[in-house]
Amino acid sequence: MKKSNAIEVKNLIKTYGDIYALNDVDLNISDGEYFVLLGPSGGGKTTLLRSIGGFIRPDSGSVIIKGKNVNNLPPDKRPTSMVFQGFALFPHMDVAQNIGYGLKLQSIEKNIIDEKVNKMMDLVGLTGLHNRKPHELSGGQQQRVQLARALILENDVLLLDEPLSALDAQLRKDMCIELKRLQKTVGISFVHVTHNQEEAMSVADRIAIIADGKMIEEGTPQEIYNKPKKQFTAEFLGEKNILIGKVYNLNKSKIVLDINNDKIEIANNNYNVSKNQEVSVSIKSESIQIKKNVKSKTNEKNSIFGKVTEITFLGQFVRYLVLLSNDQEIQVRSSEEVANVKLNDQVILNWKLDDFILHNE
Amino acid sequence: MIIFFVLPLLLTVVWSVFERTMFWMEPAFTLFSYENFFFSSRLENFLSSMFHSSISVVCAFFIGFPIAIFIRRRVKQVAQHRVMLLFILPFMVSEIIRIFALRPILSRNGVVNSFLMDMNLIDSPFSIFVFTPTGVVIGEIVSFLPFMIFSTFLALEAIPNYIFEVCADLGVNRRRMFKDIFLPLAAPGLFAGSVFIFVNGIGIALIPTILGGPGSVNAGLIATQAIIALDFPLAMAVSAIMMFTLMGLLYLGHRLFNLTKLLEPIS
Repeated sequence: MKKSNAIEVKNLIKTYGDIYALNDVDLNISDGEYFVLLGPSGGGKTTLLRSIGGFIRPDSGSVIIKGKNVNNLPPDKRPTSMVFQGFALFPHMDVAQNIGYGLKLQSIEKNIIDEKVNKMMDLVGLTGLHNRKPHELSGGQQQRVQLARALILENDVLLLDEPLSALDAQLRKDMCIELKRLQKTVGISFVHVTHNQEEAMSVADRIAIIADGKMIEEGTPQEIYNKPKKQFTAEFLGEKNILIGKVYNLNKSKIVLDINNDKIEIANNNYNVSKNQEVSVSIKSESIQIKKNVKSKTNEKNSIFGKVTEITFLGQFVRYLVLLSNDQEIQVRSSEEVANVKLNDQVILNWKLDDFILHNE
Repeated sequence: MIIFFVLPLLLTVVWSVFERTMFWMEPAFTLFSYENFFFSSRLENFLSSMFHSSISVVCAFFIGFPIAIFIRRRVKQVAQHRVMLLFILPFMVSEIIRIFALRPILSRNGVVNSFLMDMNLIDSPFSIFVFTPTGVVIGEIVSFLPFMIFSTFLALEAIPNYIFEVCADLGVNRRRMFKDIFLPLAAPGLFAGSVFIFVNGIGIALIPTILGGPGSVNAGLIATQAIIALDFPLAMAVSAIMMFTLMGLLYLGHRLFNLTKLLEPIS
């Protein structure tokens, strides 16, 4: 069953002077989906989120929420609520007042507000903290109050602008689980902006990578992490082993690449490439096997020679830096030290045919 | 603190019960000066000057607070401090001249009256603008308004910008914004500005001297006149009464509004 779209963004453009904060962005977010906008700082993801929320007027393009064009509506007239970066609470109101303030503005009866506030406080895990002032709360609790304040209005979409950036690493992990649970409970679409890939992977149903005002690619966390289509995505997700070369030969099942005169074979997963096209490929450092080279030649196609230049013990694994004959460096992660591989040894690297991922751009 | 605040205060009280001599005073304990104050028109003048000061405070609130809000909300953040500097400019002119300059503006055939007459809004000139308590109130507002603007602006400046975004998201209208956000968050600034204007309103002799008439004498002027008449104990008594009145008012304010809570740092 195809889900209906909660948010459609079409050809959105926003400029600041000569700089494109958003350069022709299209985006569809389904009903009840946890969607993450991931990208480097200054890439335009917050601008995109604020355009959806109505805090920024785009130069052109349209934002459609629940089938209704909201381009000319102010934030409060849109069916969206926002959780702001940092601890954006009213400092002079206590927890219950902060949460209930949005309802109070709608002139709803006090006992109904109290009831909803209580329910919401139980939902986000703030039971019993009614009379605390914001400065008496921990960072995590303050963000829970923000969540409750936004969710109590029962809008169709919740927008979260770097909601966890002010929290420490452990708390961030806990809050990720909490956010995901909360989203499943209330069932509305969450749109979450972050530059932290771990945070994105742990909460998202789908992720869009945004950089330089453009949508780089989108997909499920698994697709983005395991099979990034673009070189940028691979680099952004911390991929170190990126090799640049040309397509030397190809058929339906295999592609042979020429990387500075070394031939590497990779699986052809319906890549749209042609002969002599310049491409980049990447491989996860844990997918490579390393062993001491005893022969002077190998007939294995999916392997390459190199020399160990650095061995670092990193607790859970050992990292080898291997210099290839074409001066490119490859990182290899191994769960345990490989016997008899020492510094400056000649080694041979192996991988499975489909471990290499090809990036079109 | 002790040298510059407590000691002068104590001396004021001590000197106020001294005996008056021809040119100075001598140690004694007499309440003559207080009698002199409470059983003469001086008490009435003192009370009315408190009343007029209160009016100045209220007017300064209604004029100054909206100006501060306007600067905080509508002026670009980088330009806000420059705009605030404009309100300091009048202080480059001596206070006497500044207040004296109000005379030709407010007098019977002054600028304001001529303008109103030319516009055919009034038939005959208002004469209540100068040499009346109204004149004093106008003078006080003109002189002290910047302090209300400064102190409230500083309080408003401390409000983080996200508050306004949250308000935009929740749909807070102007009236609500004023009542629920600006008023409580600027309360410390409002309090400081109000106390400053009130104290100066009853204490500064210059304004009633220049703009006031026979009925507009404030505590500062009573004390000044006493000093001119070489009645130092009376001057001290007036100052002491002013001080105690203010302390009493602060205490009352504290009981009514819980000042500690009001002035609680916003964090």
